[in-house]
Amino acid sequence: MRPRRGLSKLLVEPAAVATGDIAFNLIVFFLVCASTQPSTGRRQDLPSSEKTKQEQQNKSIEVSLTNSETMLTLNGDPTKTTDFPARIARLFSQKPRPEDRVVVVKSTQDTPYQHWIHITSQIQDAGGSITIQREEQRTEVVGQ
Amino acid sequence: MKIARKPMKADVPSVAMGDIAFNLLIFFVILARAQDDTHVRWEPAKAIGVQPNSTSRVSVVIDTDGKIHLNGRPIGEVQLAGAIKEMLGSQPEGKRTVLLKVHREARAERFEPVIEAISQAGGEMVHVLNQETKE
Repeated sequence: MRPRRGLSKLLVEPAAVATGDIAFNLIVFFLVCASTQPSTGRRQDLPSSEKTKQEQQNKSIEVSLTNSETMLTLNGDPTKTTDFPARIARLFSQKPRPEDRVVVVKSTQDTPYQHWIHITSQIQDAGGSITIQREEQRTEVVGQ
Repeated sequence: MKIARKPMKADVPSVAMGDIAFNLLIFFVILARAQDDTHVRWEPAKAIGVQPNSTSRVSVVIDTDGKIHLNGRPIGEVQLAGAIKEMLGSQPEGKRTVLLKVHREARAERFEPVIEAISQAGGEMVHVLNQETKE
């Protein structure tokens, strides 16, 4: 009887050097996959509170936002969000000085960020600067 | 007669190279995590006219649950202005950028105090957003 060749001799071990390289490539792959956060944005400058108070004494433009993404209030007038860029541009055309183009943005507590950033971006693009007035602050003013 | 000496081969074991690279990588990943906020879950809002962001040492995130994170660590609304001020130190104008990452569905009651805190701390705020595409 012819003896069978030992199976253990046929098993070839993979090169141990490769495991390190595989691990390295896997880590790089997962790191790249994990960093999918956007790297774009918008700069927004808010005037200091003192400056804002001064400007609020002048007649500034007021925009009120709610959780409705189709409507807002511009100087007390209900306005469609689609009409807003044209209306704000018209108001700014009457105010040539940049310091008069401060828009007080009032938001109800349930205003979503998506809506807020959309409107404030339009104000900035039209040449205005924004200042926020929070609901608690408004309550204080009413109480005086 | 001179017997030629057999040259000795002294190689550095190449198996170790992979292990060293692996350990170095883990070390740097852990080090980077200290200021990283990639583990915080949030969805960016979309806006028009977005531009590439400059780098910043300070980033504030409002996550899907409305929690505030400063450089990846949870922080309260009250402590935020002070902590940002401390981080910015005496950096000159132009180097006081604070990246603000707000979940698209976050409500004004959460993000307005944060915006105010960044403003109070003298930070130059950059909203991190995705470009809005017109369909």
